[in-house]
Formats: sequence, C-alpha cells, structure tokens
Amino acid sequence: MQGRNSTVAEAAVEPRSDKTVEAQAFEPKVVAFLCKWCSSAGSDLAGVSRLQYPPNAIPIQVMCSGSVSPLYILSAFNKGADGVLVSGCHPGDCHYLKGNFYARRRIYLVQKLLKFVGLEPDRFRMSWVSAAEGVKFAEVVGDFVKDLKALGPQRKLKAEH
Amino acid sequence: MTSRSGVFVCHCGHNIAATVDVKRLADEMGKDDGVVFSKDYVYMCSDPGQKAIIEAVKEHKLDSVVVSCCTPSLHENTFREASQAGGVNQFQCEIANIREQCAWVHKDRDEATAKALKITRSAVRRVRKNEPLTPIGVPVTRRAVVIGGGIAGIQTSLDLANAGIEVVLVEKQATIGGHMLQLSETFPTLDCAQCILSPKMVEVSKHPKITLMVQSEVKSISGFVGNFKVKVHRKAQYVDPELCKLCDDCTPVCPTVTSNEYDAGLTGRRAIHIPFAQAIPASFYLDESACLGLNPVVCGKCMDACTYGAIDYDRKAEDIEIEAGAVVVATGFDLYDVGNMAEYGRGRYPDVLDGIQFERLCSASGPTGGHVLRPSDHKEPKNVVFIQCSGSRDPEQHCTYCSKICCMYTAKHASLYKHHVPDGNAYVFYIDIRSGGKGYEEFVQRAMERDGVVYLRGRVSKVYQSKGKLRVQGVDTLSGKNVEIDADMVVLAQAMVPSKGTADIAKTLKIGRDKDGFLAEAHPKLRPVESVTGGIFLTGAAQAPKDIPETVCQASAAASKVIQLLSKPSLEHSPVVAKVRESHCTGCEMCVDACPYEAIALVNGKAVVNEVLCEGCGTCSGTCVRAAIDVKNVTQLQIFDMISACMGA
Amino acid sequence: MVVMEDIRARAKELLESGKVRAVLGYRRSSAGVLAEPAFVTAPEDTAALVLDATCVENLALYLVNEKKRQRAEKTPDTRPLAIVAKGCDSRTINVLLQENYIKRDEVVILGVSCENGGVIDTKKLNRALRGKPATAASFDGNGSVKAVFTGGETAVPAAEVLADRCLECTQAYPSVSDFFFGEKESGRTYNRRFTAVSAVADKGMEERSDFWAGHFDRCIRCYACRAVCPMCYCDECVVDSTNCVVKATTTADEKANRIRWIERSVCPSENAMYHLVRAMHLAGRCTDCGECERVCPVNIPLRLLNTMLEREALEMFEYQPGLDPEQPSLISSFRDGDPNDFIR
Repeated sequence: MQGRNSTVAEAAVEPRSDKTVEAQAFEPKVVAFLCKWCSSAGSDLAGVSRLQYPPNAIPIQVMCSGSVSPLYILSAFNKGADGVLVSGCHPGDCHYLKGNFYARRRIYLVQKLLKFVGLEPDRFRMSWVSAAEGVKFAEVVGDFVKDLKALGPQRKLKAEH
Repeated sequence: MTSRSGVFVCHCGHNIAATVDVKRLADEMGKDDGVVFSKDYVYMCSDPGQKAIIEAVKEHKLDSVVVSCCTPSLHENTFREASQAGGVNQFQCEIANIREQCAWVHKDRDEATAKALKITRSAVRRVRKNEPLTPIGVPVTRRAVVIGGGIAGIQTSLDLANAGIEVVLVEKQATIGGHMLQLSETFPTLDCAQCILSPKMVEVSKHPKITLMVQSEVKSISGFVGNFKVKVHRKAQYVDPELCKLCDDCTPVCPTVTSNEYDAGLTGRRAIHIPFAQAIPASFYLDESACLGLNPVVCGKCMDACTYGAIDYDRKAEDIEIEAGAVVVATGFDLYDVGNMAEYGRGRYPDVLDGIQFERLCSASGPTGGHVLRPSDHKEPKNVVFIQCSGSRDPEQHCTYCSKICCMYTAKHASLYKHHVPDGNAYVFYIDIRSGGKGYEEFVQRAMERDGVVYLRGRVSKVYQSKGKLRVQGVDTLSGKNVEIDADMVVLAQAMVPSKGTADIAKTLKIGRDKDGFLAEAHPKLRPVESVTGGIFLTGAAQAPKDIPETVCQASAAASKVIQLLSKPSLEHSPVVAKVRESHCTGCEMCVDACPYEAIALVNGKAVVNEVLCEGCGTCSGTCVRAAIDVKNVTQLQIFDMISACMGA
Repeated sequence: MVVMEDIRARAKELLESGKVRAVLGYRRSSAGVLAEPAFVTAPEDTAALVLDATCVENLALYLVNEKKRQRAEKTPDTRPLAIVAKGCDSRTINVLLQENYIKRDEVVILGVSCENGGVIDTKKLNRALRGKPATAASFDGNGSVKAVFTGGETAVPAAEVLADRCLECTQAYPSVSDFFFGEKESGRTYNRRFTAVSAVADKGMEERSDFWAGHFDRCIRCYACRAVCPMCYCDECVVDSTNCVVKATTTADEKANRIRWIERSVCPSENAMYHLVRAMHLAGRCTDCGECERVCPVNIPLRLLNTMLEREALEMFEYQPGLDPEQPSLISSFRDGDPNDFIR
C-alpha cells in the first residue's frame, strides 16, 4: 500500500532508525479548505499580525464550508494528504446564513466513517475560525501539524502510482 | 479550457520578496502547462503594475490571468479591472494569496517558496477552467423601509425622502419619537426634547414621500439587495386618525386602567389614550390588550362618547407587502431592567428609579407636572443619590461594556434636580467621568461647580430601605472613606441594552448581532452602518450605545448609503452562481432543501437556479451526490485540480 | 398471518382490471433455495407468486430499472406497477418517493408484514446445514426454520439463520402501502438493532484498520453492490469514470474533462475510496435491505459501512430514512443541536 513517498525514502536512507528522527524528517502535507468570509479572512488576519505557523497547510479558498463535499476530503487523502482541515464560520454567523450547519452535519458523518474504517481520526479536523480569530487560526494549524508529525504519513487512502 | 495563461508575481516590495523567492516562482510557473507568460514585478497594484497586465495581455494574447500577491479581499477588483481593460474577461482573472497566507506567516525561504508555488499552481489550474462571465443586471426598487421611528429612524427617513426616495417608516408603537420623546431636556444645551423633536415628527407626517405605519411590525422579508419584499403586520386601527379630533371625550369614560409605558410605569392610563400630547400620528389609540372587549355588549363606552365617529370596533389587522430596494434598522435601545440589580433593591423600592423614570418626573408633561417628587408619597426629596455605571462595566454580573451616555445624563439629572430643588442635596457616585463630546466637559464642570452637585468617586455596594429612607452604602476612594447616605430618592444610570424589538428584527432579517446583542456592523471601523447582508443597513442605539448627536449623524450616514445603493437604475449581481447539469439531475430536491436562499426550484423534474437569488455559496454543490450542480468558476472539477496542485502533483 | 392466497387474488384482480401494467413479486426458482423476482403480466401467472423466508431480494430495484427502461420508450405504458413489498423494501420505496424518482401514483404497494419472521441468510443456512445444499426453507410457526435438503430435512432455530438485517429490524412492516397483508407486530422478538456494526465499531483502532484493509484488499470492483442497490440509480456514477453519460448536448470539453475522482485500478486505496464514497452517498438514504452484502462475490461485509452511518444518523440526528416520504434528506437538513464538540 506504500507509494514512492519521498519522505519515507529519506527515512530509509538515514542510518539512524530513531523514531524521533524519522518523525522530525517527516513533513505532513495538509490541505486546508477555508471559507472565504470567516476562516480565510481569519487566516489573512494571522498574516497581517505576522503570526508564524508551519507551512505545511496549503489553503484552498471555498465560498462557504457548506460547499465542501465529503468527496473533496476523501480525494485529498487519496492524493496523499496526511491531514485535511475544513474551517468555516461559527454556527449562526455563516455569511450565507446556513451553509456551515450543513457542513457540520456532513463532516461529522465523514469523520465517523473514516474513523470506522481505521483512518486515524486526528488526521481530519474541522474548526470554526471567524475573521477576527487570527490567533486561533495559527494555533489550529500549528497544533494540527504537530499532531500529524506524531502520526506519520497517511497510507491507507493514498493512491499508489 | 484556456491555453494562454499569464502569471504575474508581485514582490510587494519586501513584503513577499523577503521570504518568497519571487523570481524563481515566476520562472517555475512559466514552465507550467498552459502558461505562456510569467514574470515578477515589484508592486503589482501600482499604476505601472496594472499597466503591465494590460500590456502583457495584449502583447501575448493572454486568455486568463493569475496574480500572485496579497489577499484577494484587497485587490481582486483592481486586477480584474486591469485584465478586463487588457481584453481578458474579469472573471478569468484569479488571485493567488502568497502574502497573508504565505510570506507573512513563514520564515524559511525554501518552504515558503515551495508553498507559494503550490498556491500559484492551484490558482492557474483553476483559472484555466474559468468561464467568461457577465454580471447580472438586476432592476432596483427605489423605495426604502425604515424600521423604528425613534430619532434615528426619523432622521434617516427625512434624509431619504428629501433625496427623492420613497420611504415607509414602520413603528411598533402608536407614535413615533421613541425614547427621545420621553426625555425632558437634552444635554449639553438643556434643550427641551419635545421642542426639538416635534418639528421633525411633524415633517415626517407631512412629507409626501414618507408613508408612516404605526402599530406595525415587520414580520418577514424575502428577496435580496435592491429587490426586497417586506411583509408588515399592522394592528387593527380601532381609532381612525383622520377622524379623531383629539377632544379627549373618550378617556374619562373608559373603565379600565393599565400601566402607562410612556411614563415608564409611573402612572396609569386608560385602554383608549393618546401616548403624548405631541404624538404623531396625532390621534388617540385603543390598546386592545387593556380593553374590556371590543364589543358594545361588554363595554362600548368610548365609541358612544365619540361624537366624531372615529372609533370602530370592527376594524381588522392587516398584512401588507412592501417592495423595497433597501432596509434600514433603527430599532433603538431599552434600559437594563432595574429588577436585575440585586444590590439596589431589585426594583421593589418605588423611589429607586431609572433614568427614563427620572426624565418623566422632570418633564412638564410627566406624571408630576415637572416637579421632582417621590413616587411613593409625592413628597419633595431633599437628598437624591445618583449612581452611575449601574449594570454597565460589570463583566461578572451585568453588561461588560460602557453605556457611553450615562455620565452625561447623570450630570444633567443632578443639575435639573438642583434647579428644581435648590436646597436639596445631589450626590453622584462615579467610577470615571466620560464627557468627550462638544461642550460636554464644560457641562459636567458646571454641574459640579455652579449647581453644587457632589461627586463621589466610588461605587455603591448596597441600597436598602431603612426607617422610611433609602440607605445608600458607598465609598469615596479619593478620601478613602466609606460613605453612607440616607437618601429620599435614588436614580440609577442603568445600562443601555438593545431593545427587544432589535432581537426580534435581527432574527427576521437574518442579520447578525454582536456578543452583547447589538446589531453587528460589517466592519467595526470602516463600515459602521452596514450589516453583512447587502441592502440592509443599521443605525442608532440598536447598533451600539450612543447619544443624540451621534445618532443623528449615524442616521444620516445610513441614509447616504441607501442613496448610493438606489442611485443607479440597476444593480450588478455577481454572476458566480450555481448551474445545473441537467443530464445528471434526477430531481431529488436535496439542493432545493439545502439552499439558504431558496434560489433553486424544481421545474419539469429538474432543478433550476434563479440566478438573481443565488449568492454562489455552493451549499448545493456540496450536497449533491451526483455532481449535477456546480457553482460557475468554482466547479468540482476545478477543486479537484486545486487539490492535486496542493499535493504537489 | 399473511395469507398468500389473498396476495395472489389481489394481484390477479389488479392485472385483470388493467389498473397496473405488471406485478413485481417473488416466485420459486429452479436455481437454489432463494426465491427469484417475478415480473407478472398475465393474471393466471399470479398463481406462481410466493412469499416466504426465501424472498430476500429488494424488488424496489426493479422500480428503478423499469423507470430507466421506460425513458427509452417512445410511448411508454404509464399505468402503475404493483409491487410486493416487505417492511425494508417499502422503506426503499419511501426514499425513492422522497427523492421524486418515482411518483406515488406510479406504484401500487402490496405491503406485507414479516410479523415475527423475516428472510434467511444463505451463508448462515449453509453453515447450519454443514454444507448440505438446501432446496427449500420456510418458517415452521414455532420459531424455527424448516430446511429441506437432498436426503432429509431439519429444523434450525430462526435466530441462527435469519439475515442480520431481520435480526436487527425494528419495524417489519411497511409504513406506506395501498394494500396490507398480515399483522403489524408492535415488537420484534430479536431486537438487536445495530449489533453487527457495534461489534466492529467497538474494536480497537488497529484491529478495525486491519479488518477493513483485509476486506478492501479482496474487492474486485465488479460493482455488483452498486448494480443491486436501488439507491444507486444515478445515470453516471460519480466515482466511476468509465460510466459516463454522454448526450447530444455534451461538449467536447466536458468529455475531455471528466473528473477522475478515483482510478479504475483494483488496489486497496482505490477500492477503499470507492466504498467510502458510496457509503457517504448513501448516508440517510440506505434502508438496509442488505442486498449489497449478499451479492458481493468476495464476501465484503458492506452492510456494516451503511448501518454505521445509519446508526449515527439515528443517534446523533434522530433521523431514520424511509419512514416518511415527505421528510428532507439527511444531508440537506440540520438541527441546532447537531454535534459540535468535534469542531475546534
């Protein structure tokens, strides 16, 4: 089930089999779906505030967390993501009134399904980040990357090439 | 799919270039599929930067543009206009945010550049599948609905009407004027409140462009900016304002008495009454909830007494639909209930009053004819204590915020008391004195120096009844001593809270409120009178505590925003809307149910999107299990490509 | 007691009167113990209709297939189809009605109650008979299934051979029907809802991961599960890039740019993706007819994926698919009280 993942190859070349070293060499790849009005704006605020967080998460700006189909999340894992983050407006504050309520329900189900088939639940995270929460955004990403480093590369859904 | 994309990488001076290797980024992107032009520039948003886009589009015959720069919320429009000027449809220009979401938040040059590359590549893959789009023109209704007839709503209505826009002013009570009509004098000039307000109220009633609806509430709203449909429920008008001659033959014969809300509960009134002598509409009003029964068999005395036939018990409530292009919410404030103040008697002591009650005592048209008398025994109080910040600035028990006006009106109340009872003693317990407006500081100083009001810096821990007096236990921190005063009357400067009507209307209009329940503005500094929802504006104390000059100012500001909105014959609606793939749609209606704007309907078994109602949120696309509906230029295929790009493929 | 003659008589009457164009029911098969679907158009053929513990198929599938077939016809027979529907089958019909795939007046539902019975699981029966092939199976009225095999017969306790979904069933009769046969039993004897999925869900993470990896490894992507599922009626399956709808209006761009969400290759990651996406697309729509698991040629316990989501829908969202044709779908509705704790 293992693809030709460069980080795994690096670990194989390293003479030390120390798990900590392997973990340090491993840089998780994260896809972050951020809603334009709240979470992406919160991420911008983190930038304006010059907060620093790890560069592992590549943002994809969507209009609303409600537009994130479970298929995107599964596809991100399939393409090799070690972690997937979906972030939207706080309940009641959705710019489009209700989109985040649907996201909440759908994503709850996807998370349960992934956990059921044995994908570590910590690999998939959802957060509510408002446009005023730059600090929170940086923390969410920082915590996520730290937790993912401990989990190692995701292999279960990653497509083999 | 486009085949000639141009990539423009901005240095943003040092902002991006210090962390991201912009030259390498431009070079790498130049090698990508479908990219025929890729260069870096120092400042893309500058004039030369924008010209560079226009020239590159023309020279290299570009069909799509990606600008890697700061966040799209800053310059998306700028670069879209530049692209359009060069000949590329504005919707085939996308922004890759490599500043706020990359250069500014990472330090390692290699890592930041690698991430910037993925972000830019993602934008290119997406823009290559963008369709050219044209904004949808939507006709605009040149009418505004103003909700709330206090000074804010009145000012907005007059400004709009004088600009030639039709206004419907909807007021819940039987008269406009709001709380300002209950005041006796206003700081810092001590103008009589009714004297300055009445002319405006009369102007509203006479203005040909203003339709006044009292005893009315907005029940629902549908539509979108420029094209709202507002449903208003108007209570039954048992007294016809056209026929009522204000003779007052009816109130003496009315057998019921109820609490008079216009006197803040200090007096009673009949079921049939006029709220104030200056009420607009100038008419009596029959309060159904206090009336014995609108049935001549049960009572009918007022109808008998009315020689002008102005009373008719058979009138019915009405539901009226109004078409409007904009809505302004001016639903005002209430005072924090004295019943919440456990330390000050929980509202059980008749001589512990809030600010509005004190205003009524001072007012010539009030329950005591303008004499400051104790509600309990109608005796003149010789010692009055005024407590500022009652319920405000108290995160543990009450409201966290400062209510802004209390320092000023307490100084006013204390001064007025001393004018009415020169030999009385006025004490003010305060934490700070906030008197920032024009003439405000001088006003407070006059209260202290000329009127002899005693200011004690400290809080009051308890007020309780003892031997017929109200014992006030406070402290004077400047002398360090405890202070006990046996007062005849205590006036609490209660916190300003959003009115109950504000909470209701926010739910109806689906506009947000902040943590304290005040209406949420779109941006706290730059957009103070707009809600996040297009076409719905906010003004007055419903948005935050403020005094009359600020309210009038904000009311005019809201009017100016409405005028801007309605000044064009049509509005442009974003064309980034949902589109159905009929071949895949099975008519299951999941998207119809999910759409927050009810913009999708089933027609002949297939989903059809109303492009004017659709806001492009994509909830439908996230719901559909068949990929039968997508938002233009944010399609599932594009997201798929973006995910690949993010993974480095 | 369900009286078979009543069902046959009703079916015959519907055909004779011309009210329906066909009756979908079950008849004995010459190829094994299970009954097979019967598409009866001649009134006299209704005599062959049976209803017993071997009627496992979900006939609602044929409502879908008939609909598709009719779309190609120039002048389709618009009379309704009559269908013999057990409780689980009728829930499928309700979801099809909810999703407007069929209209209420296009189907005449002959609802039958399983009472305290159900249908057998042939794998369980084989185990109980220790490999002897059964030729007939029926309830004996005493809580056992009488299994007839070449050379004899035996009675096996029903709880040992009933399909998992029957053991877990909470309503063994249709909630919506035009004609009703049998008694509505208020309580089921077995009462084991969600036991199968709980057994797997309660395993540790590693064990669960190995469990599913082992199963997905064996998948041969035959798509039998999708073919037999009445809910998989999409003309173009989102996950299968070969199953493509091309119409006169399909542009060259569209043809060239089909999303390949997963590869066709038979490998564990792509197999897992297929099953996970299918499970998500069935969330709130699957009514647990169990057919997907039954037809899988390599014995993947597919039912578990769907019932897991069904359990979440019930426990977390109080949502049950198939009881009310008017309710909104699971994923196009929400409640203020939906779980929020998992969100940072």
